[in-house]
Amino acid sequence: MIRIAISSQARLLNVLRGAVKLCAQDAGLSVSDAEYLTLAIDEAAANVIRHTYCGSCDTRMALEINSLPDRLEFILEDWGPKVREDLIRPRPLDELRPGGLGTFFIYSFMDKCSYDPNFKEGNRLKLVKFLTQKGACNNEGPSAKSG
Amino acid sequence: MKVQVRNLDSVSIIDSTGDVDLYSSPKLRDALLAEIRADGPCVLVNMSEVAYIDSSGIATLVEGLQLSRQTKTRFALFGLRPNAKSVLGLARLDKVFVIFGNEVEALEKIGSVEPFAGV
Repeated sequence: MIRIAISSQARLLNVLRGAVKLCAQDAGLSVSDAEYLTLAIDEAAANVIRHTYCGSCDTRMALEINSLPDRLEFILEDWGPKVREDLIRPRPLDELRPGGLGTFFIYSFMDKCSYDPNFKEGNRLKLVKFLTQKGACNNEGPSAKSG
Repeated sequence: MKVQVRNLDSVSIIDSTGDVDLYSSPKLRDALLAEIRADGPCVLVNMSEVAYIDSSGIATLVEGLQLSRQTKTRFALFGLRPNAKSVLGLARLDKVFVIFGNEVEALEKIGSVEPFAGV
């Protein structure tokens, strides 16, 4: 298990990316799957900085990575205002406009995304990527599951 | 991330190096907004040294594309690495941008690209 706590500064996102990529490679994911997974977790962390903390740099967040035989689990915690899940949706891809792609990338590659309702102090987002066998994801890369 | 602009004859090349993410994409945005203007040069973004791009980086490129349409500026990307290309493809943007393989090709062909090409 790896747990990394950082202040909510965008320049520190590369620290999280490095840890995710390392765990993905250790789990035997292909280079491209490791990159997609890194992108998905990075987008989730960036959403915390951008939306939950509204760009504030003096707050904190943490990423926990659990590498299990059949899956990789990522738990992203923040101590900001509660996220309203009903407002989270990827934008339709036929709209050409800046923004709105982060959630799409998360949903495209992660198998499970859920907020822990029992985490009272902020938000605890659990993201799961299943592995069908050592070194293989349960699909052939990301696809447009929604949008 | 580093962003440098090379001004050639009627073409500006924006060289981006490193990761284009939430932290660094404003630098690229500043360069795009400065270079893409009415009656300005063609604008090329050199992505060959971009190791990583996230949704904020892509949003920046989309903003540049939209501005190029408004100003009727010829705008294209070149040198995308496979990971950047696949991320653009996942977002179905690989057919929206004009994308060249390398700088030589981009300089050779950008003049013949219609400002709205790739739409």
